[in-house]
Amino acid sequence: MTDGDYDYLIKLLALGDSGVGKTTFLYRYTDNKFNPKFITTVGIDFREKRVVYTASNTNGTTTGKTFKVHLQLWDTAGQERFRSLTTAFFRDAMGFLLMFDLTSQQSFLNVRNWMSQLQANAYCENPDIVLVGNKADLADQREVQEKQAKELADKYGIPYFETSAATGAEVDKSVITLLDLVMKRMEQCVDKPPAEPANGNGATKLSEAQPNEKKCAC
Amino acid sequence: MDLDFLQSLERERVLEVLQRDKQLRLMEEDRIRRMKCELQELRRRGAKSCARQYGERTCARCQRPLGKFWNSGDVCRGCSHRICSKCRVGVGAADWKCTVCHAYRDVKIRSGEWFLEEKFKKFPVTENKYETVGETLLKTYNVLSHISVVPPTPPPHLDQQFLSRSGSLKNSIPFTKSVEDLMVSFTSHMRKISTSQSDVQGGLLYVDGGRKGSCVTFSSQKSLSDTDINKSSRLFKVPSLPNLFKRSKDSDHEGSSTGAEEETSFSSEYSGGKRGSNSSICTDGGRFESIGVAGELELALAYSGDASCLEITVGACRNLSHGDARRRRCHPYVKFYVLPEKSGKMKTTVKKNTTDPVYNEVLKYQIERHLLFGKRLHASVWHSGTLRRKVFLGEILIPLDGWRCEDKASQCFNWYPLCPKAEGPDGGAAEQD
Ligand SMILES: Nc1nc2c(ncn2[C@@H]2O[C@H](COP(=O)(O)OP(=O)(O)OP(=O)(O)O)[C@@H](O)[C@H]2O)c(=O)[nH]1
Ligand SMILES: [Mg+2]
Ligand SMILES: [Zn+2]
Ligand SMILES: [Zn+2]
Repeated sequence: MTDGDYDYLIKLLALGDSGVGKTTFLYRYTDNKFNPKFITTVGIDFREKRVVYTASNTNGTTTGKTFKVHLQLWDTAGQERFRSLTTAFFRDAMGFLLMFDLTSQQSFLNVRNWMSQLQANAYCENPDIVLVGNKADLADQREVQEKQAKELADKYGIPYFETSAATGAEVDKSVITLLDLVMKRMEQCVDKPPAEPANGNGATKLSEAQPNEKKCAC
Repeated sequence: MDLDFLQSLERERVLEVLQRDKQLRLMEEDRIRRMKCELQELRRRGAKSCARQYGERTCARCQRPLGKFWNSGDVCRGCSHRICSKCRVGVGAADWKCTVCHAYRDVKIRSGEWFLEEKFKKFPVTENKYETVGETLLKTYNVLSHISVVPPTPPPHLDQQFLSRSGSLKNSIPFTKSVEDLMVSFTSHMRKISTSQSDVQGGLLYVDGGRKGSCVTFSSQKSLSDTDINKSSRLFKVPSLPNLFKRSKDSDHEGSSTGAEEETSFSSEYSGGKRGSNSSICTDGGRFESIGVAGELELALAYSGDASCLEITVGACRNLSHGDARRRRCHPYVKFYVLPEKSGKMKTTVKKNTTDPVYNEVLKYQIERHLLFGKRLHASVWHSGTLRRKVFLGEILIPLDGWRCEDKASQCFNWYPLCPKAEGPDGGAAEQD
């Protein structure tokens, strides 16, 4: 993993309350292993993984072009006392895995707060986010219903997945979905005409910021 | 942002993570550098040669002649050059770009430049666009923990010119023992990078300086002259070269997709009547002033044996000081000449309202290879203000003798930290041209 033979370095970041399973989730994703022990994360950490990405057209069909992607997956501490540190790292990530624990109603209620933290600290107002309800294997302890979570995700216009770091269910899929969003975003960013209000599809809220840029040419 | 609220063990843990992040970042920087080299190679091949008649209708990429009616080419949306049908990439008859514009877009995506630009839109106050939070933290703590170590004395053979520069640079860049500590882990990385150590980016530079026991600027400049000087090459004493150089008019504007925007803001300038003209900055007799020097200049040098000319590719500048600090404005351009004769004055275009201008321009200086011996390339960055007022933003000096023209690595882009004006005999007072 120490050679620079890849096409893209994509930086993703996992956030959410302490104990929802961010570290365990990422460990499952990178090493395909499960750690039942809870060792709370100190400040920040990251894991890496190389994946092969297959580009797809806007209509979903694959173009057959493949790329090597080096993923840097930032793991943040959910504990309140690290908050100033962890939120500072938001701005250097290109996409976000916002996680809550399906067996904890409180962690779900806090999703709202995490969203506003993202809006304030991420690189743009509306970054790519995937909502992840983790610990789906603990069905008998479930406190958050799928419908509830799905509604919230729809409200924000982001994808939603129910995952289990214990069984591995949906873990890969949620990360790849996020990667896909980021890859599409890159293309949009370089292809949109510069210094003109972003056109159509409501993907960007930057249109309001444009007049300012013009003004400073006094 | 600091780590003071952490217990010392926790802080160690975090710094370890940041150190790991740094390794990854170095690998990434290396990759980006290679990528930009390839792009530059493409750009250089595509740049219109200076000898060619400008009015002649040729494809801007492959230089093949274009007909009036048949195979007349079409204008690229990216660079507005006329392009033959073979030098296009993309889908459909309407949605294409020329090879260079396409490669430029590709690099912008693959290097993560798109992300930095987006981030900069939201956080324009960030001091260094390229620096991540982790990087900043790591620097702060590495410096703090080793602050008491004094930099080693430069070796005696250091020439005065370099001394004065590096002296002033030392103040701005913390040069500490930590750098040497870091070096150990980087050495393997450095070897990989290239034979040229003219790498001026990030920690590598400090590392280089640390090992040689010299100082920062020196190491970057020395590294260029470091390579074996071909002593056997005949030494000619030449009178100053009367405008042998020619400015490459076809300064490729891939980078400035902002072309339109530039022009509009230009019209509000004093010199508005001369819009679009490269020569509108009449420096002769213009007033100049100086402000705090900051930022870096990205250059690549290559010698073309066929054309007998030195090709200077000006990539970009970053984190320049605002030429007009009061109004926080900056219209930077880069000026070159060759010392000691001060021959071959060349200038880039002026970029409007930016402290991170992208030029992507190739300037050519006609000179026989053996005459490069004893020469230095002087580059200075200026803000072009109203009423012909110029503001000095920084300069660099690159020795051209012994510089290995064939060395692929030295043809790559390098970031050179800008220095304050030198008081030396041939570096100072350079502005009254
Ligand atoms: N059954 C089950 N347990 C899980 C799952 N994911 C995580 N856990 C457990 O939940 C506990 C907390 O997981 P962590 O990954 O350490 O939590 P975290 O979100 O990183 O917490 P902080 O680092 O404090 O922010 C651990 O004991 C994990 O084994 C899951 O999908 N199923
Ligand atoms: Mg954790
Ligand atoms: Zn062509
Ligand atoms: Zn083009």
